[in-house]
Amino acid sequence: MATGNLGIRIGIVLAALAAAAVLVALYLVFFVAPLEATMGIVQKIFYFHVGSAINMTVAFGVCALAGATYLVSRPMSARVASIADAVGIATAEVGVMLGAIVMVTGPLWAKVAWGTYWTWEPRLTLSLMVFLLFIAYLALRAYAGTDRFGRGVAAGLSILGLPGIYFIRVAVERWGGAHPQVVYKGGLTHPGMRQAFFASVIAMLLVTATLVLLRALIERRRQQVDALFLEIDRTTG
Amino acid sequence: MQAWRQFVAIVRKDLVVEFRTREILLTMALFSMLLVIVFAFAFLSDPTRARDYGPGIIWVTVLFASTIGQNRLFDRERENGCLWSLLLSPTGAGTIFLAKATTQFLFTVLMELPTLLLILVFFDLAVVRPGAFVGALLLGTIALSLVGTLFSAMLMNARMKEVLLPLVTYPLLVPVVIAGVKVTSVAVGAPVAEDPELWLRFLLGFDMIFAVATWFLFGRMIRA
Repeated sequence: MATGNLGIRIGIVLAALAAAAVLVALYLVFFVAPLEATMGIVQKIFYFHVGSAINMTVAFGVCALAGATYLVSRPMSARVASIADAVGIATAEVGVMLGAIVMVTGPLWAKVAWGTYWTWEPRLTLSLMVFLLFIAYLALRAYAGTDRFGRGVAAGLSILGLPGIYFIRVAVERWGGAHPQVVYKGGLTHPGMRQAFFASVIAMLLVTATLVLLRALIERRRQQVDALFLEIDRTTG
Repeated sequence: MQAWRQFVAIVRKDLVVEFRTREILLTMALFSMLLVIVFAFAFLSDPTRARDYGPGIIWVTVLFASTIGQNRLFDRERENGCLWSLLLSPTGAGTIFLAKATTQFLFTVLMELPTLLLILVFFDLAVVRPGAFVGALLLGTIALSLVGTLFSAMLMNARMKEVLLPLVTYPLLVPVVIAGVKVTSVAVGAPVAEDPELWLRFLLGFDMIFAVATWFLFGRMIRA
C-alpha cells in the first residue's frame, strides 16, 4: 500500500498548489487585469470559462487515451488495465464537471457579448455534443454493469469521442463562428489580461489534476476492495 | 474469401429469419409511419413552409426508427448465448460486426422506402436533386448502422438497454443528422445557402472513419 500513500501525499501537495494558484488567479483577474472597455466586469467570466474549457478537452482527451490503453492492455496486463480504467472514470467525471462550468459560464458571458445565451455555432455545438457523450460515458459506467464488459463499452465510447474533441480545438479556425480567437490571434493586448488568463488556465489545470488524482485513487481502492471481496468469496466458498 | 462466405452466411441467416417472422422490419416500418403521422399533425400548420421542416422530419424519423431496429438487432444472438458461440467459431469478430451492420443497414433502407414516400406525399415535398437526396440518406444510414450495431451488440445484455442505446449513440450521431438535414434541405429545394457536396463529403468521411473505428473496436470491446 506504499504507492497509495505516495499518491495521497502527491494529492495533498497538488491540492495546496491548486488552492494557491486559484487565489493568485482570482487576485490577478479582479485586481490586476483591467476592465474590458465594452463588456465591463462580465468579461472576467472569460478567464475561468476558457480555463475550464481547455482543461475539459484535456480531461476528455486523457479519458479517451485511457480508454484505448484499457482496451489494448486488457488481454495482457490486468494491473495496467485497471489503472487505465481508474484514470478513465476519474477524467470523465472531472471533465463533465468542468463541462458543466463551461456550459453555465459561457451563456452568461455570451448574453452580454453576443446578445444571446446560445447560438448554434460550430464550437458550441461540438462542445455540447462531446459533453453529452461523456455524460453517456458516466451513464454507461453506472448502469451497463461494473464488470469488465461495461467498462469496455465505456472505453470504446470515449475513443469514438476523440474526433469531436479534436474538432472543438480547431472548430473556430476551420469553420468560423462567433467564438473570439483571443488566444491564438493575439487578443489580450494588455499584459495584465494575459497574466490573469494564463494564471487561470494553470489554476484550473492544477484543480483538474488534483481531482483526477484523488478520484483515480478512490477508484483504485474500490477495485482492490472488489478483488479482496472476490477472494474471500472464493476461499470461504 | 472464407471471410466473405462467413459474412454472406450471417447476413443470409438474418434475412431469412427476418422474412419469415417480419418482427423487426414490420415494427420499424409501422413505428416510422406513425411517427410521420404524428409529425404531420404537429407541424402541418402552414403547407407552404413544408420545405423548411420536411428535411428535419425525415431525419428524426429515420433516426428514431433505426433505434427501434437496433434494440432488436441482437435479440437472436442473445438467446442461448449465440453471440459467444459465433465469437468462438473461426469467424473473425470484424466479419461478424460487418455482417450485422450490413443487416441493420438493409433493414433501415427497407424501412425508409415506404416512410419517405409517405413524408413526400403528406408534406408535398418535391425532390429537386435526387442524387443528393438519395446519397445523403444512404451515407447517413451507413453511419447510423455502424454506430448503432456496435453499441447494440455491446449493450445486448445491459439492464437498461433501451434507454442506454440512444443515450450513447445520439451524441455520436449529431454530426450525421446536421449534415443529413443540410443536404436534404438543398435536395428538396429549401432556400438554404449550403454546399451539398461539401456535406456529402463530410458524411463519406464520417462513414470511413467510423467504419474503421467501429470494426476495430468491436472485437476488443466484446471480448470481456
